Amino acid sequence: MANFAVHASADSLSNAKPKMDIKDLSFFYGDNKALKDITLPLFEKRVTALIGPSGCGKSTLLRILNRIYELYPGQRAEGTIMLDGENILDPKLDANYLRSKVGMVFQKPTPFPMTIYDNIAFGVKLYQKPSRAEMDAIVESSLVRTALWGEVKDRLHTSALGLSGGQQQRLCIARTVAVKPEVVLFDEPTSALDPISTAKIEELIDELKRDFTIVIVTHNMQQAARVADLTAFMYLGDLIEAGPTTTMFSTPKDNRTLDYITGRFG
Amino acid sequence: MVELTFDPAEARVTEKPQDPRRASLGRLILTDKFFKNFTRAAAAFVLLILFGVIFTLVEGSIPALKEFGLSFIWTEEWNPVKERFGALAPIYGTLVTSIIAMLVAVPIGLGIAIFLTELCPIWLRRPIGTAIELLAGIPSIIYGIWGLFIFAPFLQQHVQPLMIATLGNVPGLGWIFSGPPYGIGVLTAGLILAIMVLPFIASITRDVFDTVPPVLKESAYGLGATTWEVVWKVVLPYTRAGVIGGIMLALGRALGETMAVTFVIGNAHRISASILQPGTTISASIANEFVEAIQVLHTSSLMSLGLILFVITFIVLAAARLLLASLNKRAGG
Amino acid sequence: MDQGLYKRRMLRNRFHMAMSVATALFGLTWLILILAMLLIKGIGGLNLAVFTEMTPPPGSSGGLLNAIVGSLILTILGVLIGTPIAVLAGTYMAEYGRHSKLTDVVRFINDILLSAPSIVIGLFVYGIMVRPMGYFSGIAGAVALAILVIPVVVRTTEDMLLLVPSQMREAAAALGAPRWHVIRQVSYRAAKTGIITGILLAIARISGETAPLLFTALNNQFWSTSLLAPMPSLPVVIFQFALSPYEDWQRLAWTGALLITVAVLTLSIVARLLSSKRTV
Repeated sequence: MANFAVHASADSLSNAKPKMDIKDLSFFYGDNKALKDITLPLFEKRVTALIGPSGCGKSTLLRILNRIYELYPGQRAEGTIMLDGENILDPKLDANYLRSKVGMVFQKPTPFPMTIYDNIAFGVKLYQKPSRAEMDAIVESSLVRTALWGEVKDRLHTSALGLSGGQQQRLCIARTVAVKPEVVLFDEPTSALDPISTAKIEELIDELKRDFTIVIVTHNMQQAARVADLTAFMYLGDLIEAGPTTTMFSTPKDNRTLDYITGRFG
Repeated sequence: MVELTFDPAEARVTEKPQDPRRASLGRLILTDKFFKNFTRAAAAFVLLILFGVIFTLVEGSIPALKEFGLSFIWTEEWNPVKERFGALAPIYGTLVTSIIAMLVAVPIGLGIAIFLTELCPIWLRRPIGTAIELLAGIPSIIYGIWGLFIFAPFLQQHVQPLMIATLGNVPGLGWIFSGPPYGIGVLTAGLILAIMVLPFIASITRDVFDTVPPVLKESAYGLGATTWEVVWKVVLPYTRAGVIGGIMLALGRALGETMAVTFVIGNAHRISASILQPGTTISASIANEFVEAIQVLHTSSLMSLGLILFVITFIVLAAARLLLASLNKRAGG
Repeated sequence: MDQGLYKRRMLRNRFHMAMSVATALFGLTWLILILAMLLIKGIGGLNLAVFTEMTPPPGSSGGLLNAIVGSLILTILGVLIGTPIAVLAGTYMAEYGRHSKLTDVVRFINDILLSAPSIVIGLFVYGIMVRPMGYFSGIAGAVALAILVIPVVVRTTEDMLLLVPSQMREAAAALGAPRWHVIRQVSYRAAKTGIITGILLAIARISGETAPLLFTALNNQFWSTSLLAPMPSLPVVIFQFALSPYEDWQRLAWTGALLITVAVLTLSIVARLLSSKRTV
């Protein structure tokens, strides 16, 4: 049962159009209803943060947006999520194609066991057959985009496993944007990183939103306050409240939101 | 209130001009479908092997089973000339050699495993553990020729006369150790099997002991228990299913072992009360006679022996795997 | 504290620990003895002729060349036949069919085949190949060895693939890659070392196998590389020579045994070294 309050648009959300529209979305692990009738717009070229205590369903929701849950048996989603006029939950829509438009960065940096160059080329080669020069250019621009180029340009053909944690995560972001998706999902991207790497990635997200629609799940409220334009608070599978970040963190409408933000539970 | 910009009633996948990405993916997706079925077929092939083995053995056994019926199992006579065959001697030999092997190898193997997990200095653990695993990989024919040329003569000259003189005179049990010291025979085969199976038991038991959460042992030590008490009262009960499973796995191997036994068993199709006498096992009989067996009944009897061996080992191994699986569940694996 | 009880406990502990050390020494001693004897007896007969001359008739000198070559051919062929099937099966079990019933059944059956008596496998291949074909052949021997390879490689392939972190697979799938692409480009690459280790262990296993060859490839006195004829192999030659009354044959048997043991130990050690370099 949709039970949320979305506030009047604040400045950062004016003129914003929804890129993805989630309507009456429910999700089941077997018979267990984990998400209950979520309705939420995701605005184009803005950052939407999903926050809430452990188990509230924020990661579950994120993982529906690119249907990555389909890798595992026994899980299903009901409802509609519109992207460019198509309902992405329609089984006729190919999940692999969907993922070329909706990319994902995971909590733990997972570089593939290949060279840095090949890590980025991996996704690109699924959709194009660029020449060597073209691929070089794509790799370089992706790495420049994620502020990694300077650090790795001399060892593009060495194993990606030799990078530090923060560098690996930026590599993962680079290979995701190399595929030129329209939406990028971040699932607690900095929870495994040190503060300096975290800051770098938050800067990156701020920069990336110029070209991509971004949804970020974070258990760190301060992070949401720093990077997000719109924040959605979830609790026990329900979407409680969503609105411009500044409003959410200063005058939320729901008591539960207030309690979470002030640290009464979490 | 933010407005939703679509009408759910219109939500459907529309016909769009083909995104070139779709085409590129299309090929990969077809390959994916193919390999999904191809790999599934390969997995099913494993089952096919098993059924094939059972079928072939049964088919080959039919002439003998038709001729002799179930009495095949308890008939001792094995006479190719008269074409009368019975499985009793090989079955007996297989069981007795394996039992001897287990009686010797299990305590020693457990002892080694306890040594490795509790007593051995840490820096020695890896080398000795590795050495044991390497030894478990030595082919059985090596044990066979070592047994024939070195161990059997050794037993014949030094050990067996002693056994006959001492144990052979023990009232009530003496008949087990009687008869001339041939060197080769059921006991020798059993001992060779024991040496063969030893590294296997030690290795599996060590692995099983390693699944005990250190916290459990530490709490016992913390209460003042001695090492032996920790092993006997904490480790062994905890790993009971796994240890038994490992022992049964080793038993399954011992039952089916061919080369280590064939060299030293003596190849006599008879049952003797004394284990110092020659005998035969199922696999030794098959190994020695199959190629020269001309009559259909002879070949078929050997096939029947194979079937019996397969059934016995299948049951033992299946039970072992189930026990080991229950240990894994317990360890949360 | 009850001093009597304490003393008894300590004594019991001492006793059992001493027993444990004693058994360890006892067990290891026998094994070392075997290897030592193998070395002594085998080296005695080790000379160049072993690698250059064929197996001789009794009473004359010779070597083991045809047996060595035959073993190499049978082993390589057995691995070539068995490995692809096994890797694909293991792939299904760890990737496509990870939660399926078929996988559970196959894993159970596979583990039983792993320890099944190899002589029974020999009987099986005799039944499906030698009898219909009408003659013993090298190819039948290779098939028997392949059947021994399969359970080993299925097990190690599945185990190694299961170690690949699922987040890595998700990351590849999230870029839009279909399953097989993920398996080939990511899972196989990550598990490569482990899978190769498994194959090496399988090779080590079949290198010394005698029983399955006894009535498939049989044996051959002479040089033969034809797959459609009986093929000589080191283990079967050892079997024949060792059980004979001829001294020069017996000497060759020891040397052959030494060669096999060296090969098996080398493969096992290489597999172990490789395994320690794994990244998963």
